[in-house]
Amino acid sequence: MTVAGDKVDYASMRPTETALVIGGGVAGMQAALDIADQGFQVVLVEKTPSIGGVMAMLDKTFPTLDCSACILTPRLSEVSRHPNINLLTYSEVTGITGEAGDFRVKVLKKARKVLEDKCSGCGECVPHCPVQVKNEFDQNLGYRKAIYIGFPQNTPLVYTIDEENCIKCELCVKSCDREAIDLTMEDEEIEIPVGAVVIATGYELFDVSQYHRLGYGRFKNVINALEYERLINASGPTSGNLMRLSDGKIPKSIGFVQCVGARDVQKGVPYCSRVCCMYGIKNAAMAKELRHDDVKNVTVYYADIRAYGKGFEEFYNMAKERFGIKFIRGRVGEVEEIPKNKNIRVWAENTETGDFLKNEHELLVLCPGILPPKGLKELAGNFGIEVSVDGFIPIQYPASNPVDTAIPGVFVAGCAEAPKDIPDSVAAGSAAAMRASIVLARGGEL
Amino acid sequence: MASDEEPRIGVFVCHCGHNIAGTVDVERVARNAQHFPNVEHSSDFMFMCSDSGQELIKDMIQLNKLNRVIVASCSPRMHEPTFRRVVEEAGLNRYLFEQVNLREHCSWCHAREPEKATTKAEDLVRMAVARAALLEPLEVKTVEVTPHALVVGGGITGLRAAVDIGSRGFKVTLVEKESELGGHLRHLSTIYPNKERAVDVIDRMLIAAKAIEGIELMTDSVVVDFDGHIGNFEIQVKNMKTGKTAKRTVGTVIVATGFEPFEPNGYYEYGNNPNIITLAEYETMRSTGSVLRISDGRPPKQVMFIGCVGSREEGVKGHEHCSRYCCTAMTKASSDIKDEADEVMVLYDDLRTFGRGHEEIHREARQKHVMFSKFAHSKKPTVSIKDEKIIVKWKDVLSGTYCEFEPDMLILATAMVPPQGTDEVAKLFSLTRSGDGFFNEEHIKLAPLTTHTAGIMIAGTAQSAKDATDSTTQASGAAAKATSLMARKNVEIESTVSWVDDTLCSSCHTCVQACPYGAIEMSTTKDPPVAFVTEAKCHGCGTCAAACPSHAITMRHSTDQQIMSMVEAFLIPPTIKGGSE
Repeated sequence: MTVAGDKVDYASMRPTETALVIGGGVAGMQAALDIADQGFQVVLVEKTPSIGGVMAMLDKTFPTLDCSACILTPRLSEVSRHPNINLLTYSEVTGITGEAGDFRVKVLKKARKVLEDKCSGCGECVPHCPVQVKNEFDQNLGYRKAIYIGFPQNTPLVYTIDEENCIKCELCVKSCDREAIDLTMEDEEIEIPVGAVVIATGYELFDVSQYHRLGYGRFKNVINALEYERLINASGPTSGNLMRLSDGKIPKSIGFVQCVGARDVQKGVPYCSRVCCMYGIKNAAMAKELRHDDVKNVTVYYADIRAYGKGFEEFYNMAKERFGIKFIRGRVGEVEEIPKNKNIRVWAENTETGDFLKNEHELLVLCPGILPPKGLKELAGNFGIEVSVDGFIPIQYPASNPVDTAIPGVFVAGCAEAPKDIPDSVAAGSAAAMRASIVLARGGEL
Repeated sequence: MASDEEPRIGVFVCHCGHNIAGTVDVERVARNAQHFPNVEHSSDFMFMCSDSGQELIKDMIQLNKLNRVIVASCSPRMHEPTFRRVVEEAGLNRYLFEQVNLREHCSWCHAREPEKATTKAEDLVRMAVARAALLEPLEVKTVEVTPHALVVGGGITGLRAAVDIGSRGFKVTLVEKESELGGHLRHLSTIYPNKERAVDVIDRMLIAAKAIEGIELMTDSVVVDFDGHIGNFEIQVKNMKTGKTAKRTVGTVIVATGFEPFEPNGYYEYGNNPNIITLAEYETMRSTGSVLRISDGRPPKQVMFIGCVGSREEGVKGHEHCSRYCCTAMTKASSDIKDEADEVMVLYDDLRTFGRGHEEIHREARQKHVMFSKFAHSKKPTVSIKDEKIIVKWKDVLSGTYCEFEPDMLILATAMVPPQGTDEVAKLFSLTRSGDGFFNEEHIKLAPLTTHTAGIMIAGTAQSAKDATDSTTQASGAAAKATSLMARKNVEIESTVSWVDDTLCSSCHTCVQACPYGAIEMSTTKDPPVAFVTEAKCHGCGTCAAACPSHAITMRHSTDQQIMSMVEAFLIPPTIKGGSE
């Protein structure tokens, strides 16, 4: 159990009984749980200070509008308390040798400068820290200190000092009764013997500023969908009060632009990102849900609405009928800022009617597609896997062996393989766990 | 703790971010609860389910010597296990925990009435306090899990699941009603995204399945009887050809009963012209030879596909859902046939080529000059037949023009619907079904493979329409769930079951009749025989307790006394000592 205080001797773990899971998002957590539940040991390596992945940042989830934190938090606790799961957060896999049943993995434990076995997560240090920087977890819309946790459910509940911004004033050290802060701590590289590996490194979002014409980065009231998620989230930087970044006003007319960095050959993203239609519709519904009567106009600009999953089409219908959201089939051509009120004028063609539109919105949300995460190519390369043209991990027989990579003993789950929504990532996490457990049980064979 | 100990109750009211606190005045609820009888601690907190919320409960149990804990937060469906574990870690029996649902029962359903929602929240907490004082510790029981799994359905999903469980070293019985294994894939030509021959995919799985000793493949067979509980299900499988039945005892079950392609009678003149066929019929033709017109045996030259046949129909029960596979399957088929036909056209509503490699197939089809035309969601194409010619008329919404085409073969991409017999399967395994007719999972986001019946998993198109890749992903995933149970060897079961007081039982058999789960029998070791409950089968529904004319049956954790105390607390609010603000 990786509750603070335990010292795990990673070097002497037995490869026949241990799996490595890379990535602590919803897919990686599921893989870890389903391997650990079978009685095997799991080393779960996560590069940020907390497990939870992108799902932890989301407000509600489609198609039931279940609150993301509400359903994810028990999963976080389950992982952190599981007797067979060893959490290595703020750590990265840097190399691997060996073969199925007997790999040696190198993991870089970055110095978090806080002793995991002493920190109780009380947060006494925070008010003493004089350095305030933008919080990545809030998409840089909120602030955190140089000693921080990204979000209240940070798992493990241990603070981290971000070395880049720490001014070494040692005020936090003095404030900590438990003497949990050690500014001299250095990165450490450890080697772990494991028998099977699950790659679940997730994804990152397309940088929407690449579409100059859509105004992101130029106009304050053009934001991306993850920023929107944080703005409507109760534990986000505005405590869930959706407001414009230009003036703090509640937007009464909101536009959502789909397929920004998806299905676009020119931008190197020829594929569909699979989740954006639904999160776009969900976010549109939330605009109405949050501010029932205030928000008069919510419009979604789309190419095809791909409401393919269980309950999705039904949700799409509800968005149209119950929430009164307008859907316009047409990619947005260009946007401009109206100087006097900082509203955003959207130029688009309704391809179903042929009408040329000039709509004014008080807020415009761009819905970015999904990219393979930075470093996936190198990580895969370490394993001897060459990523596909799309940048994700290739699968030779998708219909029969959807989570098997070309390397025996190495499996893939969630968005490391291709864009996926939460249930599909969870299913893939379980699937990768199954395949990995077979390798462990059979000493390297599948 | 001894149950005669004085109750010391802790109340923890959760904000759940804005979910509850946005409507309900949680501080007021917590403040008021301090004055209820036996309450030794009451506070509010941002997220009770977070690690710090959990620590708070443990700390307060220690500090105030609490022996009952109430968390007023969300539905117990999600977090009851979390908080039960927390109180257990602090040394309390898990059944001394009580959860109040302020989110689904107050803030969400009364979002526009914060004052009334708060009053209701206070009522619910007061009732829970009354009940908590009467809660009793119950013994936590476990059952052994038989290391043998049942897989129902021998399509690609069932085969994948069986091979995984078998490879992992557990026994599997796979039951398939057809004579051949492989399901619908046997009738497809090639499958997307990599255009593998479907038969190769099936062969790969069949070779693997047959090579594993622990896998028993039963074709021509159906499960005719199913009884028992997690870890110990008794099944009877009947071979429909020989009439013989076989009995097996299994610990876990994976239901992979698949789908059937919708037969589009009444749509687009289907059945009125031999050259109007479904995509499934087209694939069967292609997989067994070449695609030829039924009317004259000639290869078609003008081929048209229509999408969303029997899918995405608002208000039509069982057809409201998107069938998920058809856009890409139809696009792939259009690309294939374009190599042979002169003109190929695809009519669609939205083109949902969403998965990995799907857009590439879409682009390939367009590069081969397959024509794609979008019709309006509310205005589907019309098909008529004149002199044995098929005439299709529709409005292309992108150009705004009315179009007409005379295909010599019209292929309808029909919906995936639950197969015949799904009702019986649902009853047999106690599964519920969603609006689309497929089986319900335990949780649509985070538990897509388990069901509300412990020990029974669903996978593939039994859960919802999907393609082979997504089906086998679920298959391996469901196999992991089954394997976890078997590898653990023992699982805990609920102790909230009914209990018969022998001395009061009048041997009337009323409860035996009333129990929907067959959990009550008459114990013949007593004279006269008295009712006896098999606890692992009991779902704790309470029907027997309500039916018993002798008041001999007690529902543990929902005793009459506990329930009446809540009613009283609601009707007679206690006088508040010290007054409240």
